[in-house]
Amino acid sequence: MEPAKDTQPEDHYDLDERHWRARYTALTITLFLPLLLAFTMIRNVYPFAASTMMLGIRDVQSGRDYHVLRGETAGGETIDLPPIELTNALTGRNWGLVRAAVQNQSFNIRSPHPENLQLTADYGGLEKLPKAARLQELLRAWGGIYNSRLSDSSNQRLKSVRLDAYRWEGGINGEFDRFVESWTAVL
Amino acid sequence: MDSRALKRLVPTDAVTLGMVRAGVCGFIVCEVLLTSFSDLSRLPVTLLRPTGAMQVLPWRFYDLLLTPAGMSTLKWLMVLSLLAATIGCFTTLTTKSSALLFLFYEGLLRSLSHFNHDEMPAVYILFVLALSPCGDAFSFDSWRSKTSPRRSGIIYGYPILLMRVLLAWSYFSSALIKMRVAGLGYFSPDNLPSLAIAHSLDNLHDTQFRYAFWLPYVHEYMPAFAALVLLWELSFPLAIFFRRARLIILTLGIFFHLGTLFFMNIFFPYHLAMYLVFVDWGRLRARIEAVVSRHRGLGSRIY
Repeated sequence: MEPAKDTQPEDHYDLDERHWRARYTALTITLFLPLLLAFTMIRNVYPFAASTMMLGIRDVQSGRDYHVLRGETAGGETIDLPPIELTNALTGRNWGLVRAAVQNQSFNIRSPHPENLQLTADYGGLEKLPKAARLQELLRAWGGIYNSRLSDSSNQRLKSVRLDAYRWEGGINGEFDRFVESWTAVL
Repeated sequence: MDSRALKRLVPTDAVTLGMVRAGVCGFIVCEVLLTSFSDLSRLPVTLLRPTGAMQVLPWRFYDLLLTPAGMSTLKWLMVLSLLAATIGCFTTLTTKSSALLFLFYEGLLRSLSHFNHDEMPAVYILFVLALSPCGDAFSFDSWRSKTSPRRSGIIYGYPILLMRVLLAWSYFSSALIKMRVAGLGYFSPDNLPSLAIAHSLDNLHDTQFRYAFWLPYVHEYMPAFAALVLLWELSFPLAIFFRRARLIILTLGIFFHLGTLFFMNIFFPYHLAMYLVFVDWGRLRARIEAVVSRHRGLGSRIY
């Protein structure tokens, strides 16, 4: 019987490198296979992105709505209320949150929140649900955040928060600011 | 991949990988520290639309999470984990916990709004770091254990290559998808001005620059400009292979992201920050040390 050989440093290095090679192969496949699938299907499936930002506007002549958040202070002044100053965690995303809230997107998912299911049932179905059914809560939350930074006696405190919808009629020389509708939340 | 071929492409030393870890985790921890999680906790949970993998968690969990206590816990867990990963303390554990926590946090943000891909390369890069020996040098762990890193080569070089490929893929695939979705319409003179104006009308974006309204006056140049941007995105993978191309492509990248900020009110800070994976930190450190020692030598001769 041959005596067992001592493990040489070179053998140890090779073994170590083989271990890391196998790990890196698995990591590369785990990352790139879903990324390629997301790319092929042009579909974002978290956490795999299809990089679909800035694709352009399909029909540049078609109109589109946009929103402006405003507040009315205790002193009666109407002020602009950029949401990035209220929820900075949603950097680059506040406009998506508003659009989703206006379009009731949180009701149109496979498994909505139980309170959303209840509200849908109360209205007698998804098609009977009013537009922007949860927007009031969002406006109140933003108003609450703004007021929490001010003293109780400040006349800059908000008494209401309003979301105004405008329509851009489309085309780069078109009318940009046709008022459409407004939602107000009294604080 | 052959170790020699890899050495020609990327730094293959433990110090560079360790410095990339410190840079990536350091940037993310600064972002988290500057973010108000308590304000986020005041948003109604009924607006959540769990996206992709986030759907596996029950509503009861989100009800508990979107509370001041829940979000505060998440923030301080992230800060502790990312800080430890930045300095390289318990690196094997803290890089993994940082990757998982950041993945979850980004999923939460996307569940409230839309799927923006800015932070996604950072998420993938964190996972690459978590599964590589990035604490073997330039870390508290290596200082404490006093062990020397493994032999340079694939072990340290491949993760750097993979991180560079992941960032390049973000730009390259973005260009290809533009072509697939918009086709030649992407080069129409009104496309970019319309897109820019669409992002400049509201006050819901992070900035309210109005430079987009200048673009209709120069819209005849927009097809050429769109083609140049697309060409730049498609050529981004060259930054992996050629050092000179890297300098040009990354510089153009800075201008591109500043352009989207001023003309579209869209900014990709994470993409810009992740350019640090293209820096040869080991070589940079050696140069700085050489300059410092030269100055010290000069100083001792003067005094």
